[in-house]
Amino acid sequence: MDALWAAPEPMTAREVQDALAERALATTTVLTVLGRLERKGLAARAKEGRAHRYRPTASREDHIAELMRDVLDAAPDRGAALASFLGSVPPGDRSTLRDLLK
Amino acid sequence: MSAAWPILLVLGIALAEPISRWLAAASWAERDPVGALVLWQAIGLAGGLSLLGAGVTFALAPLGDGLLDAAGALLDGRVSVLGPFHYVVLAVTVLVAGWLLGVLALITARTLRARRKHRDLLDLLATPWPTASGAHVLDHPVPVAYCLPGPRSRLVVSAGAVTTLAQTELDAVLAHERAHLAERHDLVVLPFVAWGATARRVPGMAAAQRAVATLIEMRADDVAAAETGPAELSAALRAVAGGAETAALTQLSAAITRRLARLDSPPLPLPRPARLAVRLAAVALVAVPTVPLL
Repeated sequence: MDALWAAPEPMTAREVQDALAERALATTTVLTVLGRLERKGLAARAKEGRAHRYRPTASREDHIAELMRDVLDAAPDRGAALASFLGSVPPGDRSTLRDLLK
Repeated sequence: MSAAWPILLVLGIALAEPISRWLAAASWAERDPVGALVLWQAIGLAGGLSLLGAGVTFALAPLGDGLLDAAGALLDGRVSVLGPFHYVVLAVTVLVAGWLLGVLALITARTLRARRKHRDLLDLLATPWPTASGAHVLDHPVPVAYCLPGPRSRLVVSAGAVTTLAQTELDAVLAHERAHLAERHDLVVLPFVAWGATARRVPGMAAAQRAVATLIEMRADDVAAAETGPAELSAALRAVAGGAETAALTQLSAAITRRLARLDSPPLPLPRPARLAVRLAAVALVAVPTVPLL
């Protein structure tokens, strides 16, 4: 995933393999990982000629912002998914906290 | 025993409304957060058992005393004494019980899914923190600290928290989060989250949800303060809450203000006999609606 984020353009599995050359990964391993990233919605695939090109669906920063929203939105009724140091956030305060992230 | 159902009905309603409201407002709770949490669990369990038990005992009253007699009567084939009204009450009770369990299962599944999604992203984005074992750092300037509970738990601080807090304060924050993880506070709040969501209109339920959420924070504060010192913890809480305070988060800062006041001048813990009484009351509460069912 770091390779996809670092690249300026969508990459083929081959290019990902080359970018990670020092890890000496097999092509099938790279394809498996790319497939998993796609299933999780982190990468998108587009057919180009005979190869598929993968690009990240969102930047690293966007994903971090998403995680932060989870934390600051940790309302009691959203479930016990995580426990923030500040405690759960009552509904009335949530939009104000979201503004903090902008 | 056929007169058990009015008692159970009254007890169930009392637990759901005035008693919940009383405990949510009780000032002794922050002097014994563990006792109060145990009592909350008992109130939740006893309240549910009472209301469902009232329905079952009313519906099956003609078959004899308690569920054991009723089961015997069913085996003997003596069900003809039940009128249509008894069947209706029984059906409603079974439906309500199924609905409550269904909601709990649904909220549990949703929680686990949200947690797994968050953990997947986190493992991709966060970097392990060299000086604190098991902690991860998320590159974001807003200071936050949190944990993902469960068997594959994660402890996370933001880069903002690392730069804002002194090392001793960070240790206090991590001790607080580790207390949440070690005591599985997520499981303590889960039923209140689930059933609070189904009965939002009942003020007692909403109050219960808020009270339990605050009590687990106080309990984690107690553990962390004992480990690293209350001054470090309250300094950390002030620093992390700084952004929240300026954003005029009225309800959240009210809860944080209570936690800070508790850390700065700790209330006297409840005396030993009172702590014992709270725990015995919890056991008795669960026993009362269970016994007439048998």
